[in-house]
Amino acid sequence: MVIDILVNGLVAGGIYAVLAVGFSLIFGVARIVNMAHTAFYMLTAYFIFVGTTMLNIPLVASLILAIILITIIGLICFKLFFDRVKQHETTVMIISVALAMLFQEILFLVFGGHYTGIPPLAKGFVDIASIRVSYQHIFAIVTTGLILLGLWLLLSKTGLGKAIRAVSQDREIANLMGINVNQIFLIVMGISVALAGLAGAVIAPIYMVSPLMWIQPLTIVLASVVLGGLGSVGGCVVGALILGYTEIIVTFLVPGGASLRGAVSMSIMVVVLLVRPEGLFGVAFEEERL
Amino acid sequence: MAAPFLEVRNLVKEFGELRAVNKVSFEIGADEMVGLIGPNGAGKSTLIRLITGILKPTSGQVLFKGEDITGQPIHKTVNMGLASTFQIVKPFRHLPVVANVMVPCLCQRSRRKGEWVKTVELRARDSLEFCGISDLALEPASVLSHGDLKRLELARAIATEPDLLLLDEPFGGLNPAETRLVAKSLKRLHKGGRFGRLHSEGPAMMIVEHKLTELMPMLDRVIVLSFGEILAVGTPAEVVSNKEVIKAYIGKEVKALATQSG
Repeated sequence: MVIDILVNGLVAGGIYAVLAVGFSLIFGVARIVNMAHTAFYMLTAYFIFVGTTMLNIPLVASLILAIILITIIGLICFKLFFDRVKQHETTVMIISVALAMLFQEILFLVFGGHYTGIPPLAKGFVDIASIRVSYQHIFAIVTTGLILLGLWLLLSKTGLGKAIRAVSQDREIANLMGINVNQIFLIVMGISVALAGLAGAVIAPIYMVSPLMWIQPLTIVLASVVLGGLGSVGGCVVGALILGYTEIIVTFLVPGGASLRGAVSMSIMVVVLLVRPEGLFGVAFEEERL
Repeated sequence: MAAPFLEVRNLVKEFGELRAVNKVSFEIGADEMVGLIGPNGAGKSTLIRLITGILKPTSGQVLFKGEDITGQPIHKTVNMGLASTFQIVKPFRHLPVVANVMVPCLCQRSRRKGEWVKTVELRARDSLEFCGISDLALEPASVLSHGDLKRLELARAIATEPDLLLLDEPFGGLNPAETRLVAKSLKRLHKGGRFGRLHSEGPAMMIVEHKLTELMPMLDRVIVLSFGEILAVGTPAEVVSNKEVIKAYIGKEVKALATQSG
């Protein structure tokens, strides 16, 4: 039971963390509240499904193609819809909700409402303390860990990372330092959507794929971001891990917990916010983001 | 005078009813050090902001290296070699001081192909060294004193390796010792040369400043602005003895300078 909770919590928390970081990044840098973030994650899962079951492309190639394709779609959406109205945060948010609904309806139309699945990348199990843990779960944990590590290295150790953090703190001054802010927005949007795609690629073989699979992660992502502290990339990782573990603990330990998990996660968020309105690692001022 | 490097043509800026800059035209040569002085509210800072592109002019043109840069995105202008500092310093407060200078080192103009981030950091450190604050490199910018922030601002501007520097009150809030130090740095920069990994072609400069005693000896030419219009242009000696200038300006300091030089 303990191993089950540890492994599943790490998978759920890790995936939420990758999603939340992507969401937080584009919000912190360009102030874009992208509610379609998890819809990109859903689309990736469907692309992999189409690639493997309909087009008979090998799984690894499908994964890579799906991530590339979703990044391109994300960038097109940014250029077509977000870029023009990015000064108006509310408009961007509403557009992104509409976009997510559009993706959902298209998927309903094409694939119907039933659940589908994708074969795992790594088949088989390993026994840890007499509990069977699938290789796909281990793969998911290692991959999400590597993605988060890579992102941390990018933001803290590279020139691009410095430029991204500078733009997130003060885009006007970054502009005066000769940094092309719009180019940085585009790069960050690319990274953000690619992260959603990676999360989708890792999770699709574990969870069920359906046209509604974007809603539940979105609420958790929003909660993680708020719980960790709006705009704090590190904070939202902790927030996501807390909520991921809560979900799994409730599912495993409480009778009928599977239907309660969302409510408990949200309650934790509300309690934390009542005590610390700025979130766990939140910053009180706008300029302190990232 | 050298060929026009920066040319401002009939620049007008209106804020509602108020005309802050009124048909201002002047030129700056590629090797000149020009002062822009005038009483408070004369429109000096507005003029700097119009040239940089932060403010859009109501009418008129700004030409840099013969190219019209009016209304051009700011980062493009910076990458053409025009850098500026401002009266109110706005650092990236939560980045370390050295990272604050690394950001301009990464702009298209001063970025070297295939350069490692460590080398960028060394260049940023040389820029800090030049401004005399390399010992603060690893501090977060939020803890810096006003004087150090002013120098950080200068370090950031020169990290873009500009051909023209617009400085808005570089001595503002500095004590006399710091002022002398910054003035000396500016003169060295204007002469050009290599400062560690930092390369300076000897940029032209336009300096807005109230501390005339420190400013005047550095300058080739002075432009005096009053109520948004150019009141006088000339060498420092000509300007301080100009009756109109003495009348319009606060008077005391210019008179004192006139007595000194005359």
